[in-house]
Amino acid sequence: MSAQKHKHIRISASDHMVKLFAYLFIGFIALACIYPLIMVLSVSFSDNSAVTKFGYSAVPREMTLDTYRYLFAHSGLRILRSYVVTICITIVGTFGSMLITSMIAFAISIRDLKYRNVIAYICNFTIIFSAGLIPWYYVCVNWYHMMNSYAGLILPSIFSVWNMFLMRTYFSAVPVSLYESAKLDGASYYQIYFRIALPLSKTAMLTVGLMYALCYWNDWWNALMFINDRDKFPLQYFLYNILSNVNAISSGRIPSGAAANIKLPSETVKMAVTVITIGPIIFLYPFIQKYFVDGIMTGAVKE
Amino acid sequence: MFKELKKNRQLYIMCIPALVVLILFAYIPMAGIWMAFTEYNIQDGIFGSKFVGFQNFKYFFTGSTGMGRKVIYNTLYINFFGLIFGTIIPIMIAINFNEIRGKVFKKITQSAMFFPYFLSWVVVGAIIYAFFSTDTGIVNRFLANSGHDIIRWYAEKKYWKGIIITADVWKWCGYNSIIYMAAMTNFDPSLYEAATVDGANRFQRITRITLPLLKPTVVVLSLMSIGRIFFGDFGMIYGIVGNNSLLYDEVAVIDTYVYSAMRSLGFSYTTAIGLFQSVMGLILVTLSNKLAKKVNDGEGLF
Repeated sequence: MSAQKHKHIRISASDHMVKLFAYLFIGFIALACIYPLIMVLSVSFSDNSAVTKFGYSAVPREMTLDTYRYLFAHSGLRILRSYVVTICITIVGTFGSMLITSMIAFAISIRDLKYRNVIAYICNFTIIFSAGLIPWYYVCVNWYHMMNSYAGLILPSIFSVWNMFLMRTYFSAVPVSLYESAKLDGASYYQIYFRIALPLSKTAMLTVGLMYALCYWNDWWNALMFINDRDKFPLQYFLYNILSNVNAISSGRIPSGAAANIKLPSETVKMAVTVITIGPIIFLYPFIQKYFVDGIMTGAVKE
Repeated sequence: MFKELKKNRQLYIMCIPALVVLILFAYIPMAGIWMAFTEYNIQDGIFGSKFVGFQNFKYFFTGSTGMGRKVIYNTLYINFFGLIFGTIIPIMIAINFNEIRGKVFKKITQSAMFFPYFLSWVVVGAIIYAFFSTDTGIVNRFLANSGHDIIRWYAEKKYWKGIIITADVWKWCGYNSIIYMAAMTNFDPSLYEAATVDGANRFQRITRITLPLLKPTVVVLSLMSIGRIFFGDFGMIYGIVGNNSLLYDEVAVIDTYVYSAMRSLGFSYTTAIGLFQSVMGLILVTLSNKLAKKVNDGEGLF
């Protein structure tokens, strides 16, 4: 009797240890993930001379909006222009992507389509094998003339095969009987797509749309490839340029004489630009997070 | 065939825009692969330039600068450790997360862990700068306050493989843990109930039930990563270290090497490197897919 009781207590002690460890571990990882962001935020609201003197920290030093005021007074137009570029690219790109992706995903989710496996394979093969960067760059620049064009920021990433398969999974969940009865009523596939499939997959569309939007918002690779006109820099690439100048100087490879001539943005300005770059994501994050979780889960347990 | 095309005409038309994009940006560039076997020059164009066989590939593997071998090593090194830690930590997160009951705590921590996924590598680069900048970075402040010598991080290349692997794991840990959690929601609860009745404690339930059941997911995800082990993450490397030449040797992966050698060493040489990567990828993905089918009851990666 007493032995059994003893065993029971021991088990629950070990269970408590597991639970305690779980809380500590998750708490630690969560802190490690969010701490850098808090630091960036707080530095951007700090007084620059205090930051140079005491270094970065997670609590604002001598809290002030000076950095943002300075930023908008001195390079407000530049930032604004980059913002507009990024917003336009994101909107146009996302809508284009959604249209293209949802149409093909819908088409190959229909079982009557005889060659749907062929089409899926044509898509899949581009994931398995690609020509590589140089031939891609060559045709984009020499044949499609994408240098310094906004098309270069949109078209190369307008169709993601991964997102297409994710969307097909969503469309496959729509009951076939709905399509069949619509067909009996004389509806065309365009009508079925537009009137039945799309409205029934609203959450799915939002999920994939947000994934595309995030991609366009965060993209700077296309800009690195095609854009050298400063007026057409998207936001991320604007930030990249600020940082890569800083990198070059803090590595000490530019002689200090020359470094003195290059005007470096102050510490708080760098962080303020970073905050401006992630700004909308921070505000939207609480509302959009669940869609991404849903998308990942659906993709993870495909079929 | 024409009958089918006619019958489902509307559906095929809906596929056209996407297929055109693929043809333009994936299939037409494949013609440019020919450059890998030539000595490309602008006057003669892709197909008029002198054919040189495998000379470009030979230079990549045996070139006197050793840069080719170095970038292959760097790519495999960063991807390998990224794969190891990028598997272990998300699994630990998923399992520990499952042991927690507090709803609010769960919600807050999951939001926090998932957030890095939403940041671009440029922003991650800015964050890393905040940590490692020589004068103001918090790491050097910490070193100075605890009586150590400060380190000029952006001039000391030996640390950067570690920093990059950490950043990679950091950015993806929340995302990947969600995949494992998704797998765990499909586990049969009666298994856990039975184990509890038999007197298994929490720890035993984790090691004897959860981990074995997670194995297929781990294997499939790892195989997918192995299929892409010759592909470096360009955005990650470039976003974090930019074109800092002091760190370049240590962290250059095949992809960044191709980009920076494009202008100095020519299109033919860099196309050859890209082709080597793609062919290795094709071989590894095909093998991985076969293996995945074995462990996953006939279901492959694709």
